[in-house]
Amino acid sequence: MRELLSALAAGALAVVVLLGGLWLAGYPPISVLGTAWAGVAGSPTRLAIWLQEATPLLFTGLAACIAFRAGVLNIGLEGQYLLGAVAGVAVLTLGPSGWWMPWLAAMGGAGAGALWCAGPVLLERSRGVPLVLSAILLNVVAALCVGMLVQGPLHDPATSAPQSAVVPDASRLAALVVGTGLTVAGVVALLLAIAVWLVQRQTALGFEMTIVGLNPTAARLAGIPVARREISAALASGACAGLAGALQVAGVTFFLSSEVQSYGYAGIAVALLGRLHPLGIIPAALFFAGLDMGFRQLERRMDIPHDLGDVAKGLAVALVLVAGAWAARHAGKAARSTAGDA
Amino acid sequence: MDMLTPLLAASVAAATPLMLAGIGELLAERAGVLNIGIEGMMLTGCIAGFSVAVITGSPWLGLLAAIGAAMLVGSVFAFLAINARTDQIVAGMAINLLAVGLSGTIWRILQNRGLTELPENAGFLRGWTGVDMLTTMPLFGPLLFNHYGLTAVTLLAAAIVWWILRRTRLGIVVTALGEAPDAVAAAGESVRRWRWFLVLVAAACAGAAGAYLSIMRTHAFVPLMTGGSGFVVLALVMFGRWRVWWMVSGCLLFGCADSLQQSLQSLPQARQIPYQVFHMLPYLVALTALALLSRSAPGPAALGRPWPVE
Repeated sequence: MRELLSALAAGALAVVVLLGGLWLAGYPPISVLGTAWAGVAGSPTRLAIWLQEATPLLFTGLAACIAFRAGVLNIGLEGQYLLGAVAGVAVLTLGPSGWWMPWLAAMGGAGAGALWCAGPVLLERSRGVPLVLSAILLNVVAALCVGMLVQGPLHDPATSAPQSAVVPDASRLAALVVGTGLTVAGVVALLLAIAVWLVQRQTALGFEMTIVGLNPTAARLAGIPVARREISAALASGACAGLAGALQVAGVTFFLSSEVQSYGYAGIAVALLGRLHPLGIIPAALFFAGLDMGFRQLERRMDIPHDLGDVAKGLAVALVLVAGAWAARHAGKAARSTAGDA
Repeated sequence: MDMLTPLLAASVAAATPLMLAGIGELLAERAGVLNIGIEGMMLTGCIAGFSVAVITGSPWLGLLAAIGAAMLVGSVFAFLAINARTDQIVAGMAINLLAVGLSGTIWRILQNRGLTELPENAGFLRGWTGVDMLTTMPLFGPLLFNHYGLTAVTLLAAAIVWWILRRTRLGIVVTALGEAPDAVAAAGESVRRWRWFLVLVAAACAGAAGAYLSIMRTHAFVPLMTGGSGFVVLALVMFGRWRVWWMVSGCLLFGCADSLQQSLQSLPQARQIPYQVFHMLPYLVALTALALLSRSAPGPAALGRPWPVE
């Protein structure tokens, strides 16, 4: 609960700071807010698009949450998402068509994401290369791989542009609201958030992973197989990011180009804003998606650069980090003073 | 020989921003601060340097602005990582996000006013010595003298930092900050203040490296133009096992791999191979080098740990 409140406060404060800045630049806050809100939730269609945009962020946010909670700083989500999208497009465009195909693609995507994460994990275990570094380098390689594949094996012969063939209608996820990309993937993401929360809260496995993240030495002394828990957290996180990529292809974009957007880095920011709490990540993903949509509307209507949305995100994450540090220190002091009383 | 000289000259040019940012990053890491925000600080340097240079017409003011702006962003990072004691990697990610947003915003404002390219004579001039005989000298000219002054400054800075780390009390303090910060505190020095100082030095170096990319190499700003070079610097510092000359050699090696892939790409035999394969080469080289070498040195003991440990 406290996590949720501090994340909300940080988000609100970031927006207020930005509105203040825009006010100084001559944009009255009320009309800015009104325009942005109309862009986010002005109509049922827009609401559905809001949820559609939040879906991949929720997936990658959960992926980051799973890994970071176990102390595995999986910064490779960006690349794992892309590999998931590649696997998804490969399954959907090269395989047969049918209503069950998106789910096959999702499994392929999850597998590809986990595999792309397995490389850095292996390098860390066997050669001592920090996961953070190898994963970051592999993110660049993954983006180049996408470009290569959409010009090579996945290229659509009907066009000269570097892009894959389009997923046939029969193999797509159906839209829940006509004219939007909101599909059952959004529901899956929501259920996944609840499942991750339950696993972390209710099962021995989840508890062990959390302890490994909080204090690996204590975990080892308590007999928890630290390395195994870390590896499974990393692979689960990679799978989750890959799943996001495949479902995005199956339900929203329907093809892959070298310009494909990845949600990996954004997912990490979403997870941090949600204070690494699976349920906190839901509002955080909505907040990020809302900022994107709101600022795009502001760019169209009022000529305000939409990149300011990214500033708001960075600001919100920085604020929530400070709030978290402050709360931890406060809690530490309180605990110490209680211990002193006893 | 005719093939080799331009290749090596291009390697030096490509390695310069990496070396410059690497020197700062190496100092910060030796002092126990892992600065993932280096990518964002470089990007800040790119946009601040470019926008001030394009508005004032002075590349020198641009360079100064790049350093100043990066230090400003660096102080946000320092506050998060050192005072608020948040995870350094997480704080760095927040910095990168902020830098992407800020640089994109400023770029769009410049674009709306038509300020998108530096006039040719508003940039720095190559041939830093100003002596034509040196610049046009065979082999040494293209390798050492036909570059921007910042390349020479970078190599000089590398030598100075090497000397400081090796021979001075300051060097001992820096190393101790990364190996045993408690001992530094016990000796009556402020761990926080020293780390703040070194993070600001790292930010200044990253900012100057960013200015090199925008004002000197490309004479323009492109959104996300650093394209992961900050992350490459992190890998190279580790590849160099936190030693100055090793890191510099790693940067030159990476620069060499980068220019090699560019010249390989233009070979007629390479038509069949997708160009992305060549782009991947430097990254795969860096990854392989890390895999081969990283076992041999664990790095500063307190790297990445907030201080004091509670």
